[in-house]
Amino acid sequence: MSKTLTQLEAADFINRSFKPLPRSYGDALVEAALEDERIVALCADLVPPTETDRFRDELPHRFLNTGIAEANMIGMAGGMARSGEIPFCHSFCAFTTKRVLDQITMQAAYPNLPVKIVGFLPGIATILGVSHQAIEDVAIMRAVPNMAIFEPSGPEYHAAMVKMALEWDGPVYLRMKRPDTTPEAFTPQPLEIGKGVVRREGSDITIISAGICIPEALTAAKTLAKDGIEARVIDMASLKPIDENLILESAQTTGAIITVENHSIIGGLGSAVAEVLMEAGIGLPFKRVGINDQFCEGGTTSYLMNKFGIDHNGIEKSGRDVFARKQR
Amino acid sequence: MRQDHNLRDLERIATKLRLHVVNMVAPSGQGYVQQGLGAADIFTSLYFAEANMDPDNPKWADRDRIFLTTAHNTAIFYATLGERGFFDTDRLSTYVTDGSELEINSSERLGPFVEATCGSLGQGLSVAIGCALAAKRQGRSSRFYVIIGDGEMQEGQVWEAAMLAGAKGLDNLCLIVDYNFVQSEGTMDKVMSLEPLMDKMASFGFACQDVDGNDISALLNAYETARQTKGKPTFIKANTLMGKGVASLEGLMFHQLRFPPEVANSARAELEAQL
Repeated sequence: MSKTLTQLEAADFINRSFKPLPRSYGDALVEAALEDERIVALCADLVPPTETDRFRDELPHRFLNTGIAEANMIGMAGGMARSGEIPFCHSFCAFTTKRVLDQITMQAAYPNLPVKIVGFLPGIATILGVSHQAIEDVAIMRAVPNMAIFEPSGPEYHAAMVKMALEWDGPVYLRMKRPDTTPEAFTPQPLEIGKGVVRREGSDITIISAGICIPEALTAAKTLAKDGIEARVIDMASLKPIDENLILESAQTTGAIITVENHSIIGGLGSAVAEVLMEAGIGLPFKRVGINDQFCEGGTTSYLMNKFGIDHNGIEKSGRDVFARKQR
Repeated sequence: MRQDHNLRDLERIATKLRLHVVNMVAPSGQGYVQQGLGAADIFTSLYFAEANMDPDNPKWADRDRIFLTTAHNTAIFYATLGERGFFDTDRLSTYVTDGSELEINSSERLGPFVEATCGSLGQGLSVAIGCALAAKRQGRSSRFYVIIGDGEMQEGQVWEAAMLAGAKGLDNLCLIVDYNFVQSEGTMDKVMSLEPLMDKMASFGFACQDVDGNDISALLNAYETARQTKGKPTFIKANTLMGKGVASLEGLMFHQLRFPPEVANSARAELEAQL
């Protein structure tokens, strides 16, 4: 009986397994806060889904549930940052970007304050549907001066997100994804601001991706390799500032590029890479894989990634296409 | 450091500030003259009597902070900052000229005494609350004053912020509405009334006072009451008169006023006679 009650309490929007999941972001934030007393956390009433429960329980005097009021949360964070604190603001991606863009520009970005904006449910990765999906957040935030954007490709990179957010002397947007299951043991490569990470080497094409599309890109690369197409896979966890050198070097060495993102093909990673290539005067077979300028729907993440063409199948197809174009 | 002036001094300062407003707006022939004249007593009472601040050290961590969330009411704001010693009053003549940091909407590029860049209405109260919460956390005795517009209170974020300030009992916060009853498209009752405003703010957890916003003595008493109030933020409904201090302008309810030279000249003469 008591076990059933515990399970009911544990239910939330993301964890549908009723099993405790790792809280690697939340743990890293608490650990950073124990080291640096300037760090405070705000949350617009989504505490377990943003992994801030440990912060709430262990550092209650530095935690504020703002209520369901995101605009006020960002404004208050601006005030706290002006008072020498480093506020991390938590909600879902859709609500920490689109809903509060004006507050972010005026109270965090223009004054270049260390306001760290942390969104969960990136892109289409939620059953909660269009209202809770953020397929334009990177495009919006990328256009905001002073803003840096980082996105982890898995929970093993969550601790690095906190570190990078603190290293950037200004506002940051973290595009987080809570794990659905306990991940397998994995040793992450070091991440740096403004640097992409080569997750797989290959000389025929380059796949530049970020976030939850990285495992899909690595799967697609394995399949392509069976047909003799060796794909380099780059994890562009630092979406802004972006690693221009690695993009240009990859264009030279592989001669074909696809970008893959859990985001609209307009304005996000694909656009950022295209901007770098075009301004360097480089023309090459190129394809943006992402959400094709359409609204999506609620569903399991694997179902949606397949339906909207951003899983390994979609990546594999585009990989073959750009490779074929390169051969012509 | 709080300044020590008697009431007569303060009234004279307010007149001086009004004269600056007229001189600053006159060259462009239109602008926020009515609001500046109307709010001169709020600015005078806050900056020259109530607030604890140091113009030589504007970033002083324990200062009282004043947020002008209606960031367009800049003629009176800049006149106040200049007279209070934050910058040289000679710069007031650059108001709203290209390249000047004295923009029509105030920006912190002017200096740290612009406590937040507002202008996009409804945001300043949230920032002040963030500062007030941080001050409590840091054990500072600073107080946080917010000058908000009545029309601005139609913004939803103001009520999010007010709800939080009330719920947290932020007694280091004092929200002052410059209740001049005019917004861009007309009087408040014609566009969208805030009334009953005192009841609304009381129900959000504020200790409320309704005062004549052109009576410096009444304003000072209201701030004093606010300082003595524990466990609640204060809301002061400061009823101001558009164009206050210039007989020909008093009660002209225009958000933007055409201000031709002959009107400016007579306003100037009237204010100079009061000094």
